[in-house]
Amino acid sequence: MKERILQTLTDLRKYALKRGHTVSIFFHEEDSHLIRFANSAISLNTNEHLIALEITAQVGRKRATYMMVTDLSQIVEMKKAIDTAAEMAKFAQALNYEPTIPEFKETFIDEDGYDPALLEMTNSEKLKYFNTVSARMEDKDIRLSGIFSNGKNTIAQINTRSEHVQYFTTSDCQVTAVLSHSGLKWELTAEQSAQKKSELDPLVLHKDLAFLLKHYRHDTPRQIPLGKYDIVFAAAATAEIVRYMNWIGFDGGMMKRGFCFLSEEYVGKKVLSDKFTLVDDPTRLETFPFKRDLAGIERKPFPIFKNGIFQGFTWTQDDADEFGAKPTGHSVTHKSLVIEGGSHKVKNIEDLVSQPRDNDLLYFPYLHYFNLVNPSKGVITGSSRFGALLLKKDGSVEVPYNVRITQSMQDIYGDKIAWLSKNIIPYNVSESYFGRNPIALIVPAFIRVNDLEISHSNSSY
Amino acid sequence: MLNEIKQQIERIKAKGAAYVDTRWYPYEETNYLIMWNGNLKDTTFARESGIGIRVLYKGAWGFSASSDLSNLAALYDMAFDNAKAAAERVTFPIRLAEKDAIQAEFISPCKIDPFDVPLTDKVNFLKSMDAKMDKEGVTQRMCDLTFVRKNIIFLDSEGSQIDKKITEVFSLMQVKGVDDQGASHERKFKLGQRGMPTRGWESIDEQVYSKNAERIVDEMKQVVAAPICPVDDRSVILKPSIMHLQTHETIGHALELDRILGYELAFAGGSFVTLQDFGKLKYGSDKLTARADATLVNSPGSFGFDDDGVPAQNNLLIDHGLLVGAITGRQMVEEANAMAKKQIFQGSGGCNRASSFYRVPIERMTNINIDPGTDGSFDDIVKNTEKGIILDGDKSWSIGSNREQFHFATEIGWLVEDGKIKNVVKNPTYKGETVKFWNSLVAVGDKSTWEVRYVNNCGKGQPSQIMQLGHGIPVCRFDNVRIGE
Repeated sequence: MKERILQTLTDLRKYALKRGHTVSIFFHEEDSHLIRFANSAISLNTNEHLIALEITAQVGRKRATYMMVTDLSQIVEMKKAIDTAAEMAKFAQALNYEPTIPEFKETFIDEDGYDPALLEMTNSEKLKYFNTVSARMEDKDIRLSGIFSNGKNTIAQINTRSEHVQYFTTSDCQVTAVLSHSGLKWELTAEQSAQKKSELDPLVLHKDLAFLLKHYRHDTPRQIPLGKYDIVFAAAATAEIVRYMNWIGFDGGMMKRGFCFLSEEYVGKKVLSDKFTLVDDPTRLETFPFKRDLAGIERKPFPIFKNGIFQGFTWTQDDADEFGAKPTGHSVTHKSLVIEGGSHKVKNIEDLVSQPRDNDLLYFPYLHYFNLVNPSKGVITGSSRFGALLLKKDGSVEVPYNVRITQSMQDIYGDKIAWLSKNIIPYNVSESYFGRNPIALIVPAFIRVNDLEISHSNSSY
Repeated sequence: MLNEIKQQIERIKAKGAAYVDTRWYPYEETNYLIMWNGNLKDTTFARESGIGIRVLYKGAWGFSASSDLSNLAALYDMAFDNAKAAAERVTFPIRLAEKDAIQAEFISPCKIDPFDVPLTDKVNFLKSMDAKMDKEGVTQRMCDLTFVRKNIIFLDSEGSQIDKKITEVFSLMQVKGVDDQGASHERKFKLGQRGMPTRGWESIDEQVYSKNAERIVDEMKQVVAAPICPVDDRSVILKPSIMHLQTHETIGHALELDRILGYELAFAGGSFVTLQDFGKLKYGSDKLTARADATLVNSPGSFGFDDDGVPAQNNLLIDHGLLVGAITGRQMVEEANAMAKKQIFQGSGGCNRASSFYRVPIERMTNINIDPGTDGSFDDIVKNTEKGIILDGDKSWSIGSNREQFHFATEIGWLVEDGKIKNVVKNPTYKGETVKFWNSLVAVGDKSTWEVRYVNNCGKGQPSQIMQLGHGIPVCRFDNVRIGE
């Protein structure tokens, strides 16, 4: 298949050159499988196979794009699409900057992240995985939900500036297992991200769920008072905050457009806690990385925050062209963000609960329906979900109804950070709205932040 | 092609499937243009076609989809095999509510096909709007146009064949400015129905846009210079461009029946509503009447027939405050009635839709509307407000996992004291608990305040689906609401 894709792109390039067009061609193929569970049954079992071709034509500073969902036999339609894009570009309006068409210096093939065994998992294997996760936990009240999503994602590109091709293929898997109470409406979750089949271990999820279930089944939930708490964020909550920070924090184009809480004057200054180090690290296969960006720039670990000091903005090629900046190898569909682990040793939720503590701790596993209240101040809001716990100083554990935090990112990751766990894990935030885009961040399993305000506390689930 | 699809449906039925349906998209085309600070950043034309197949076998669904139609039999076999695998874990065997076998056609109302309009006209329109927003104090300006044209042919094993041709138009204009603290503030205008019976290129009325371009620039400048919204408990008067979101998040999503039954617990969340609440829960004050109306003329929430092949309907959800209905499809009403051990729902509400051929239909909002009330015009509502704030423009929205509480930020607020509009405030927010909030509804504007707003980015489901819909809503006032947090 790879050879056929490369040959098709080469043929299309030749056609464009023959017709005198300047084009960039982007190929995307996804082979997606998803089993969805709800109410302890398989509610959906899907296979989707899609091939999309995106042709961007440029006439001087004018450009236009033609996109098509197609299959590789439709070469005539693809050529027609090249002509259409070129025709559209003539009628577009010239940009006030010179957009770069990258020159790929060599053909680059990256298949390091592809594990055929992960893609080829059978329905029975997936069902067995889920049955292991939920073993002995379901009953008439406790129901299993979740997904087992695995697939193969291939991106390939060529342009008329050079004959070389870039080709990236990866396998990915996202598992979410949720136990919920059908009457009381609470939910517990355990998740796993895998780039290869051997990384899947249902017993890890089973253990976490069993521990949380013990508390949720037997403890009486309560509404906790509003006020300040020392909060322990789990990986899901941290990944959600950092995912948004990627957008309203250190993206150069977004900064120039007024969406960011950081500006150029922050570069080189201490913005966050000295315990906070964030790197875009494409050497980590768990993040489904791009080792070259879509402009052909080789990607190496790129520090964003080092001990709280802001290192600089990331720039896509197009934003760099528009705003006169230097591209940083970030013309990618996702970065490979890694938060460095700290010194606190804690393996899992059970371990966290068993540790002695100097204060009550509010365990915040997941931030539901996160949104940006004030992007240019970095203010975010979201509710707890999926198994929050109040870990009392005396060692006891309470189950709180869900609470909301509305805070700035600088408050959360500023000097109030007490510790980050040494243990860091991949957390999967893959997207499928506009085609499969496997994404995972590597974050500390737990981060403790002291003295954060709870702005709402539910009186029920 | 149609005959081939029919043959495959028959073949899979003969293999033991209880039900088979197919959505064939001969085409779905999208044209998107965005101009940012005078730069035409994106001009895209997209075309896709393909097929989505659903098979019900021993109470379980299987689905397959592909853009490659060269081996239809293999696609149908894959959907069947997926259903067989799913049948190994069934708790409530799926059954579908009765419906008629329908042979029909639906064409959404469109006067000028936007795909027939030359690209230069679209670019010139964007340039013209960009120039209108290019004023002192504006640091960012953006204007976009989205046109969609699609043909969906639905066939099922019960004998239905429905041909739908739908045209959609969406558009947004937005300006940003920066205050003396370096914080950005925005104001936007989104295309709504504006009482027009059709939605094509004719929706893009340059006069309306010009007027709104001036308005949003002016209001954004006022916000930039304004004091910060106080933390207070006040009456909030919600104008349509935030009232539609309030309705969307805390009535629409809360009343999707699949969500109520727990089918979204792995991702988007549940609902505080239970099956026992229908006919009993006082969801809001007597002034609240809400409905799911897919028959409304000219809205993305009106589509003729849903993706179960059920005709569009206008159903009450909340009747003078009392919860009476939900957003339903064929599968969920059967399960809900069986679980409740009584007939809450009389057949499908016709709300099952998929965002594309390669996604499976799920319960989606149609037009979730609130009936206009008897509390007069916008001016009348303001006049009768002692201490309040008028809010407009959706900026951020966040709701609890069971839609039981929410926190919204808006683009602009105007304080109201003793029936008079006072100063503008920046960064206004408000929050509340869903049932308590709707029961604090004290004034509902009349028909003069009622507008149909479009939503083109409603997300739900796994794999993810973005859906388009509408909300017909009046200006409303709620008392004792916490603002400014």
